[in-house]
Formats: sequence, C-alpha cells, structure tokens
Amino acid sequence: MTMPMTPMLDCESVMRQLWDYLDLELTADRMAAIREHLELCTRCQPLEQFERAFLDAVARARSEHPDPDALGIRVRSALRAQGYQHA
Amino acid sequence: MTQISAQDQRFEREALSCLPDVSRYALSLTREQSEADDLVQETFLRAYTNWHQYNAGSECRAWLFTICRNQFLRTRKRGSRSVRMDDAALESLASSRVFASAHESGLDRLFEQREIREAVEAAIAELPEAYREVALLVDVHDQSYDAVSQVLGVPIGTVRSRLFRARRILQEQLLAHARDAGLAGAGAGDASGDQR
Repeated sequence: MTMPMTPMLDCESVMRQLWDYLDLELTADRMAAIREHLELCTRCQPLEQFERAFLDAVARARSEHPDPDALGIRVRSALRAQGYQHA
Repeated sequence: MTQISAQDQRFEREALSCLPDVSRYALSLTREQSEADDLVQETFLRAYTNWHQYNAGSECRAWLFTICRNQFLRTRKRGSRSVRMDDAALESLASSRVFASAHESGLDRLFEQREIREAVEAAIAELPEAYREVALLVDVHDQSYDAVSQVLGVPIGTVRSRLFRARRILQEQLLAHARDAGLAGAGAGDASGDQR
C-alpha cells in the first residue's frame, strides 16, 4: 500500500533516497525520517530487504589475499631498502 | 640498536595497518594476484616517500587507495574516459523497478542465495570500468561517497550517479542470469540470513 508516514515523505521520496539511506550517506534527520517510513510501510519494506540483500551479496564478492603474511614481509622488506626502520 | 623514528612508528600504525585493505583493492583493480602484489608494494613505497604529504587525522585508507589507483592507471597508461552523467535519484527509482520485475519472477530473495556469489563476481567484472571502480570502492571496499570522490578525483554527485547505475546494471544482469539458470521461485530456503 502507498501510505505517506510523514507529511514530508511518501514512498517515491523514500525510493529515490533508498541507496543513500542504505549507505548511511544522509543527514541524521533524513535518516530518521526514512527509517520511520520503512518501519511502517509494507510497500517499501520488501524493496529495502531486496536492496540490503543485494548489497550483502556484492560485499561477499570481496577476495582475500592467499598469503597476507608473505605480502606484509615483502612490503616491509622493500620499505627497509628505502630507510624504513620499523620492525 | 637503531632508534625507530616517530615518523616510521606513525607509518606502521596508520599506513601499514591498511595493508589488507590495499591488497584487496589492488586485486580488484588488477584481477591478477602477482600484479596486485607488485601494485601493493609500489603503493606503500610511494606512500612512505610522500608520507609528509599525508594529512594526519584524515582517512589514511582513502589516501592509500588514491595512490594505489593512480599507480595502477600509470601502469596501464589509460586514457581519459568519458562517462555519461546520470541522475542518481532516477537510477535509484529505476532500481525499484528492478525489484518489481524480480518480484514478478519469484526472485525476491535471489540475493540471499550463497550460490549467487560467482555470478556477482562475474557481473562486477563485466561492468564498464568507470562504474566498476565506484562499485568496488563503495560496495566491496566499504568506502564513503566522500572518500571515493577523493580517490577518483570526481564530484560526489558523479560518484552517486555512477554507483547507482552500476548497482542497477548488476541487478539486471543477475536477474537475467537467474532466469536463464531457472532459479525463479527458488531461494527462500537458501537464505543466508545475514544482513549488512
């Protein structure tokens, strides 16, 4: 259903700003207004869940180095040749 | 015994602590491990040489990402790329239409399936470079819009429009993949449940 939860925010406004909201890139007031809308709006909730799951899936695509210790040793060794003195 | 300078102690604490993050970012740029390791080493050598230019208290990881990307571009001798500007809010709305399409296909929970990981990686790799680098920095390497603006040297509005476009392209490609793979209607039972 379409139900503006505040005089300022309707579903389309929320959809326009949903990525900014999920990225925590809005002001505190705007974050609170959208959070309030999402808590109560059954139309926007599935979209929010879908987008959050998408962001989780993309974040899981992060690759880890197969041997991080060896890379650290290599980088520090190269730095020492430039005068770096830390262990 | 050699006395460790305050500068080197700070470099160890603030810069080298970011080595795992820089390593992951380098690999996402080069897509090849040995080339990524070379890039990481060169990044930290340049960072050490130019440590006096680093503003204490600023985001060191973003500063290192900037050096890493610049060095990567220098190596690749890439020319400038022109990218069509898009309105970020419209891209956001377009993404909601992707959801409607997924819902109609019974793919509401597609992204909760762990099996989608390989398809996500492939879809990211296929993104046009200007979109791929923004999506990697924000969505994979957890950088803020402001930090990415600094790393890429573009306005925040450009970061947002490229990011939202990248996400929409990824979603459309993943939905097409799911339909081709016959995944429509599946997924609820495979949900991982972890949320960002």
